[in-house]
Amino acid sequence: MAALLEVKKLTTKVSGFTILNGLDFSIEEHELRVLLGPNGAGKTTLIAMVTGQFKPYGGSIYFAGQDITGWPPDRIFQVGISRKFQVPNMYETLSVFENVMVSLRGRRRVFSTLFQVLTAAERDRIWETLELVGLADKANDPADTLSHGERQWLELGMLISSAPKLLLLDEPTTGMTEADKHRTAELVREIAKTHTVLLVEHDMHIVRQIGQRVTVLHQGQLLAEGPLSEVMNNEMVRQVYLGKGKFQ
Amino acid sequence: MESPVNAGNILKKTRARKLYRAPLLPFWVLLGGAALVAAIGAYPYYGSNAYVLSLLGKFLCYAIFALSIDLIWGFTGILSLGQAVYFGIGAYMVALSLKLNYALTHPTRFGGKIPDFMEWNSLTHVPGFMMPLYNFPLAVVAALVLPTLLALLFGIITFKRHIYGVYCAVITLAESLILQDFIIEYQPYTGGFNGITDYSNYAGPHFLWFILAITVIFLIVARTLTHSRVGTVLKSIRDNDLRAEFMGYNVANYRIFVFCVSAFMAAAAGAMYAAWVGIISFLDAGPVYSIEGVIWTAVGGRGTLFGPVLGAFLVKGAEFFLSDRLAEWWQIIVGGLFIFVVLVMRDGIVGTAMDWLRRWRRGSYRQIAEEADHTAHDLQADWRPEGAPRIGEEMR
Repeated sequence: MAALLEVKKLTTKVSGFTILNGLDFSIEEHELRVLLGPNGAGKTTLIAMVTGQFKPYGGSIYFAGQDITGWPPDRIFQVGISRKFQVPNMYETLSVFENVMVSLRGRRRVFSTLFQVLTAAERDRIWETLELVGLADKANDPADTLSHGERQWLELGMLISSAPKLLLLDEPTTGMTEADKHRTAELVREIAKTHTVLLVEHDMHIVRQIGQRVTVLHQGQLLAEGPLSEVMNNEMVRQVYLGKGKFQ
Repeated sequence: MESPVNAGNILKKTRARKLYRAPLLPFWVLLGGAALVAAIGAYPYYGSNAYVLSLLGKFLCYAIFALSIDLIWGFTGILSLGQAVYFGIGAYMVALSLKLNYALTHPTRFGGKIPDFMEWNSLTHVPGFMMPLYNFPLAVVAALVLPTLLALLFGIITFKRHIYGVYCAVITLAESLILQDFIIEYQPYTGGFNGITDYSNYAGPHFLWFILAITVIFLIVARTLTHSRVGTVLKSIRDNDLRAEFMGYNVANYRIFVFCVSAFMAAAAGAMYAAWVGIISFLDAGPVYSIEGVIWTAVGGRGTLFGPVLGAFLVKGAEFFLSDRLAEWWQIIVGGLFIFVVLVMRDGIVGTAMDWLRRWRRGSYRQIAEEADHTAHDLQADWRPEGAPRIGEEMR
């Protein structure tokens, strides 16, 4: 199977400080991959590079066989990479419904959106998305009245509605209660049935619940990759990421 | 036994797929708007005060100017402190054209058939690049197209380079300072400090109706634009441009688009203003006037369409009726008003009123939703396994 996303020898420097150091990384289609790593390992930076927020210092990024290195974020989105931010990012004054409407996959140019009308199919898709993330009851509320967890779900919904080929989720469970975290994990598993997902996660309980292939980054380099149980027994991973103590 | 968290439980049960959508335009807004338009339009019939008539035309131009600021500031989040540049260029094009034609039939004291300010600056001929302005329709086209093109250029220079927010505000401010200095410096062609006066302007009921019609058309255009798909995208850029960019929108292009539309409106307002008032000066292209427009928009309510119109009428109206009594204090009062609005009433008059209305409505929606919840709960209480007895019923 050909890799959907392939990162080759990716290097990033921010004011002389190397964050990613010749990282090689790839995801195959229909995969749910969890990205682990201690603070400063370069997880968020990797996502930022792939989505075009920063330009790489060296190396290249291929998506579905296409070289997307150095493309602007809106173009990268259009080839099918959607990104969830660590803090919920949505349009506060728009209603929940409109938030999803703006995110629908479709035409993005100024003059083609000018006369675009919401079709019945699009309307159904919005409602399906809202029902999936459990926000259909709040479709009319402005997004800034949502709680933190609901905001995270709304952003997930916005991403799903954009029908991406690859979903990059940067810690979608930050700041949630335990119950909400588990629901989010279930939601991610549900999404992963139909999408390719790269998930950054800190919470080991959630990682275990999702329990798929895991990639561990350390100081901008790939440390280990493989099934969760294998990686968790890896001596190096234990040392850098989980300290020398015992697993819980 | 299913695990407590399964896919089915992720989804909360939904009541109904229903959008509470406000009607396209509430009836009372239509009615009030029509009454207002009728009141202004019929003034020549019931009023005879020429001063009030001239004020009405002026205020409508101010209202369009404020509306143009609202489009970029209230709906897209670009604060421009140089919107008067586009107003000014539109106004100067029309004023120059009218003045050139006026000079043909009204020679100066020395018999020259050129505008008096050119003669004072020892020009003997109208410079070649001004020749096209003799043609009035061409001048009107130039008055509309040149500012729009300038806005396009400005947008490409700034927005394409990811300059926005405070930096953009400062650059637009500089833009209007440059134009003001340019007008003062090139006195032989622009009239300099004195501006352009003494030409045959189009005051009168017919032109008032024309301005009124344009105002209504612009309001409808702005309403259609802001409530269309593009308007939703603009608002989403205002709320969170980063998210919009990572949702595949070329944010710069949308900003440039709305900036050009707004410049076009400001230019049209300027062109009509020059034709209506009959005097135009560097002040009408300067930063002070730009900021005044921002204040009208803020006071009336940015992000609403009627807000800037109301703001322009209220603030400018108060200025005209109070400034003869409180001449020295007026600027301080306007400044204080702006501070008051920013501190206490961030959504302006119309925005605050709409917020009250929305809260009141939402309250009633909540009630509807709660009642539906109660009904659902009652229905659930009645649910029982197959063959089980109702409450108070004997087991068979």
